[in-house]
Amino acid sequence: MNDVWMVVLLLAGATFSIRLSGVYLGQKLPQDGSWARALNALPGSLIIALVSVSLLSGGPREWIAGGVACVVAVITKSLPLTMGAGILAIWLLRQFV
Amino acid sequence: MTTAKKTDARQEFWKAARDISPLALGVAMYGLAFGLLAAQASMSELQVGVMGTIVFAGASQIVAVERLVAGAGAAAAIIAGVVLNFRMLLVTASVRDVFAGRPFWQIALGAHLTTDESWALMLSKRAEGRDVGYWYLVGGGACLMATWLVATLSGVLFAASIPEPRALGIDFAFTAAFIAIARSLWTGKHDLVPWVTAFLVVAIAKWSGVLDSSWALIIGGIAGAAVAGVRDVE
Repeated sequence: MNDVWMVVLLLAGATFSIRLSGVYLGQKLPQDGSWARALNALPGSLIIALVSVSLLSGGPREWIAGGVACVVAVITKSLPLTMGAGILAIWLLRQFV
Repeated sequence: MTTAKKTDARQEFWKAARDISPLALGVAMYGLAFGLLAAQASMSELQVGVMGTIVFAGASQIVAVERLVAGAGAAAAIIAGVVLNFRMLLVTASVRDVFAGRPFWQIALGAHLTTDESWALMLSKRAEGRDVGYWYLVGGGACLMATWLVATLSGVLFAASIPEPRALGIDFAFTAAFIAIARSLWTGKHDLVPWVTAFLVVAIAKWSGVLDSSWALIIGGIAGAAVAGVRDVE
């Protein structure tokens, strides 16, 4: 599995570079303006894009389970509970629907 | 003086390890899920252990390996993981006082061990008026790395006895986890337009068949961020 080692090493190198660059670039980073706003919004937008890709790759069962997970996430703000509810919901839907 | 400083450092380190335990529980479940995904990618225990140690960024590990399992190829997997980690630039930049005046090995160690969870925990303790800094950040990060390694290795070992993770709904754990993370990243209604933009771009890209999932994900995320940057609000 050459692909796996390549991903591990290059992702590690890039991720460490990003973390370290952050320390050094911190002082020069604009505290406001378009660039800062865009970078601030990037994590949330990427996570939403990822969830969208996952859900749109599935069907109605995945969409319903995604809805259940959304409700649990909004109410509890808990990662373990949201994961548990999502897994339980998709398991029940695949078993019985 | 030096001895006193070392004692403070040790106390801060272990205080962080205690404070972060509820978050570590979430990380453990996340790690178990990653181990199961790694098994689907036919990764060895060695590969899982090395990846957890030198990448140490859970969401990007899951995204990258998920791309491999989907057959998107190594380049798409790396890009998806790296793009997801761009946020760490802001995270480490935002606590630059923590790193000020430290030798390079401490800067490198602290930067590598910085995670969303340990960083957020440190900021919340500071907001409560607690005097916490470098060793608190390192202690929380080290505790999470130990948790991450144990959980991911357990997941990949445990997975060998599970014939079909999909039948148990475990594959959906990642989607649910990202929904929970999105909830924690929500800061107010100014996030709505970027997030809707990201969703719409992904939906159009996927349904029109113009882009595969990897690129739909990246373009969608960048589109959302660009909208947030261009908008004249705040």
